[in-house]
Amino acid sequence: MANGTATIEVLYFARIAEDLGLRHETRPLAAPVQAGEWLAELARQHPALESAQGLKIAINQEYAGPTSLIRPGDEVALFEPVTGG
Amino acid sequence: MVIVQTQRFDVADLAGRLQARSAGKAGACVHFVGTVRDYSPQAGSRSLFLEHYPGMCEREIQSLCEQATRRWNILDTLVVHRVGELPLGDPIVFVGVASVHRGDAFRACEFLIDALKTRAPFWKRETLSDGQAFWVRQHQDDARKAAQWNDPAATPPSPARAPDTH
Repeated sequence: MANGTATIEVLYFARIAEDLGLRHETRPLAAPVQAGEWLAELARQHPALESAQGLKIAINQEYAGPTSLIRPGDEVALFEPVTGG
Repeated sequence: MVIVQTQRFDVADLAGRLQARSAGKAGACVHFVGTVRDYSPQAGSRSLFLEHYPGMCEREIQSLCEQATRRWNILDTLVVHRVGELPLGDPIVFVGVASVHRGDAFRACEFLIDALKTRAPFWKRETLSDGQAFWVRQHQDDARKAAQWNDPAATPPSPARAPDTH
């Protein structure tokens, strides 16, 4: 979260990456925003996200909820429920 | 210790390492091994690909090992998870726990694999013998098993509350 950074790194995994045809993008973010609000806006630009089931969000590699804050400089990841093990 | 790797691992070697590291202190070493099976009832499986989120995988599993250490009287944990292309029958994951008494080792080992399956960011993509490929869905049973460990008396510190898409 370096001073002056006005972007975030967004990572997509598995089915979501495949549906979007995108694994990574840098997106503008000037000020902190709640994850739920940010996600709703993102889904308007990436309609493929609407079909995701049980979408999970991680901020800086930790699970986050709809009211968690995303700040400029953060790494944000979106993925469907995990299936390891 | 948490290791994410593409190479095949030797179960006996990992079990031996776990035992050696706690030799003289542990009275019990318990391990679980998950292997590649056929996930589709309709057609035969050809192979399995495991995608992961590098960094977050290790952090999540390490955090689960720390939770297990706080919750049970255990001495050591060793978790190895593979990623990449895996043939049918190959080992995917090794979860080993050493403790003074077996009860703690059994319970911690089961907790770790249940929690790993619902929290560690890995995703399975299966390719069938006819060439079709699909992402494996999380089993409701896996989510239910993991939730059973969330006893309010010993709740993990940061339960995930995932947002919906809208």
